[in-house]
Amino acid sequence: MSTSTPVGRTAGESWRLLRKPLLITGVIVLVSIVVMIASIAPTSGPFSPDSTEQNGARALSNLLQKHGVKVTGSEYLADAVESGEGKTLLIGPNGQLDRDDLRRIADARWSHLILIRPGDRALEILAPGVRDSAQNLSYSSRQPGCDLPAAVKAGTAEVGGAAYTAPPSAKVCYGDGINNTVVRLETAGRIVDVVGTSRTFTNAELADDGNAALALNLIGTHQNLTWYLPQYEAGDSVADDSGPPLVPPSVRYIAWALAFAALIVAIWRGRRLGPVVVERLPVIVHAAETTEGRARLYRRSRARDRAAAALRESALGQLQKAHGIPRRAEPSAVVATIATRTGWDPLLVHEVLYGMPPMDDVALLNLSDQLDVLTQEVRHP
Amino acid sequence: MVLTGRAAVLAGVGVLFVALVLPSWGGIGLVIAAVVLVCLVDILLAGSPRRLQFSREGDTAVRLGQQAVVQLLVANPGRRVKGLLRDAWVPSAGVQDPPHRLDLPHGERRRLTTHLVPTRRGDRQADRVTVRSIGPLGFAGRQGSHRVDWTVRALPPFNSRKHLPSRLARLRELDGRTALLVRGQGTEFDSLRDYVPGDDVRSIDWRATARRGNVVLRTWRPERDRQVAIVIDSGRMSAGRVGDAPRLDHAMDAALLLAALATRAGDRVSLLACDSAVRADVRRPAPEDVLPSFVNALAPVEAELVQTDFRIVVSQVLERLGQRSLVVLLTGLDPAVIEESLLPVIAPLLRRHVVVLASVADPRLTELEATRTDLIDVYNAASAARTRLDRDRLTATLTRAGVTVVDENPDQIAPALADTYLALKKAGRL
Repeated sequence: MSTSTPVGRTAGESWRLLRKPLLITGVIVLVSIVVMIASIAPTSGPFSPDSTEQNGARALSNLLQKHGVKVTGSEYLADAVESGEGKTLLIGPNGQLDRDDLRRIADARWSHLILIRPGDRALEILAPGVRDSAQNLSYSSRQPGCDLPAAVKAGTAEVGGAAYTAPPSAKVCYGDGINNTVVRLETAGRIVDVVGTSRTFTNAELADDGNAALALNLIGTHQNLTWYLPQYEAGDSVADDSGPPLVPPSVRYIAWALAFAALIVAIWRGRRLGPVVVERLPVIVHAAETTEGRARLYRRSRARDRAAAALRESALGQLQKAHGIPRRAEPSAVVATIATRTGWDPLLVHEVLYGMPPMDDVALLNLSDQLDVLTQEVRHP
Repeated sequence: MVLTGRAAVLAGVGVLFVALVLPSWGGIGLVIAAVVLVCLVDILLAGSPRRLQFSREGDTAVRLGQQAVVQLLVANPGRRVKGLLRDAWVPSAGVQDPPHRLDLPHGERRRLTTHLVPTRRGDRQADRVTVRSIGPLGFAGRQGSHRVDWTVRALPPFNSRKHLPSRLARLRELDGRTALLVRGQGTEFDSLRDYVPGDDVRSIDWRATARRGNVVLRTWRPERDRQVAIVIDSGRMSAGRVGDAPRLDHAMDAALLLAALATRAGDRVSLLACDSAVRADVRRPAPEDVLPSFVNALAPVEAELVQTDFRIVVSQVLERLGQRSLVVLLTGLDPAVIEESLLPVIAPLLRRHVVVLASVADPRLTELEATRTDLIDVYNAASAARTRLDRDRLTATLTRAGVTVVDENPDQIAPALADTYLALKKAGRL
């Protein structure tokens, strides 16, 4: 009889053992998630007020904030259509907004609208009369050439890019009078600035020339600035009516359900009925291992002399035993006896039993065969 | 925790449900929740494998190649346990049974039988008993293991016992239990009896004849109550594999046959297995206890990859043998080892005792020497011839020193050693 003891941990023991590591891991994961969420910028990409890239506008955003302007970056249309009385809205250069969205922005009664390199649709609704001249001005230091206070204060600035033609009521700056990169339109209670040059206000260029002063005076007119960067998805240009999708949408869910089923099957098949039992095994060495090893050494070093000597000695022993020749007999006596018993030529017998070591492999093979035949004849005379 | 095929089927049905009825995140959530819930309920309702109580009984020893039966008793003080039970042993214990099916209601006991056919000599241990208890729904369950210690000792097979009857018959002839009693068949005086025509006249005791008045014959019988010490070398020379077993196992076989024969001949046999330390030691057991005690002592002995220290062998043998005895040394005929470590220390042994050195020859060498088809074979043959010549030379050296050498193939070593023993006994050299 023998009694049993359970092996392994109970659920409670496992829990007690694991709770500390689990707690620590949980805290680490939680903290890193919080830090990650906190450090995610609300906007990103070119001309973003949070981007520190060459084409970002973090420098401008900081500069504005230092001068008491509250900058709110956003990628959502909702922030651009809220009531904007006494506030500035800056619309970034990229993205596509459809007419409805633009009209809602127009209706939001922003006191100051700044359009950075707007498209035709935006110009039509938000800055009627201003048109893209379809001519790009080269990027260089230019005189304001107008009486816009912001431009006059800034003096020369490095501008270039898209140029616009404006109706006579508008103030046009930084251009040749027809094609201008900065256009100010003052309509009923609202100032609209159309700026063709976005590069002037990026991190890379802001410190040059009068760029910073131009930006501050142009953009920092109100205490609140909403910096809206339209995204491509927001527009109506996304083709959502391009026919039926290539894969039915349910395939994705079926794939997830299949993955879950695969997990269940893996757990079902993967669980062993107890661990693999291990055992200490004895060493296995074949007894003839050393002999075979020595044969390989003979072959590698082409020790034909040693091999031939061993074969001859062995054959001689057998012959002496079979013919009753004394072990210490003279070679000549041995040769004579064997020659008479077998009928071989005595010279040949001498050559086979006492000759020179073979010179090559063929000679060794021949010698081996002759010794074999000689001893065979003794066994079966 | 374990899951069953049913849980997998349920998950598969879930895939169909998601595909056909509810292709959404909600559908997937529903399926996962259903599977997890069913499995959790099943796990909670399954009987606890940890609370089972085990005990074992059955065989503790078996001759190698035969079947041992070990019983496992399971008692269940808890909820009903239904599922599988695996009685795990080390691989060389040779468990014959697949995992047992178990259905054990509360408060009942079951007796499960495990059949073992060990594949290797020595102590074979039970590992652990693992129970997988599946819940009443059959979707999931619990698994737990218990350690229930048990050891089955696989004894040397003693295959050479088939040679015992013929050797015993020859022993009886020697012993005088069969007819002819002439001088030469023993040196111990047995009795006087009347002369019968045909008896050897050289055996006539003239003094007794003169006293009695009729012709009286002296009879002789082989010596009895001699000591035989069998020494098995368990060092690296015995590790080499000849045929399908190491030299050590062939040596054990020969030792057992010799021990059985010598015991029947009235001699006292002792056993020593030794390499760099003594591995097995049986000193003069009672005659009826010789084979069991030898077999038991030899069972766990394995060949160690160390050089045997023959000084230990010699001192141990000298210590335990008083009178002139037979010392049988079962080792290998390795010229380097024997010449360097045995010959320098064997002199005291030879002065007082008769020494027989038995070695298992490798038939592979004969085979190598006979095959000569290509160059590789010729080099092999030359190497094998060199090995044999060295052995022959060593045999001659040992014979000159007074050691009787028995060098035979594995299937012949046991009867050859027994014959050598009988020949020595017949010649009265013990």
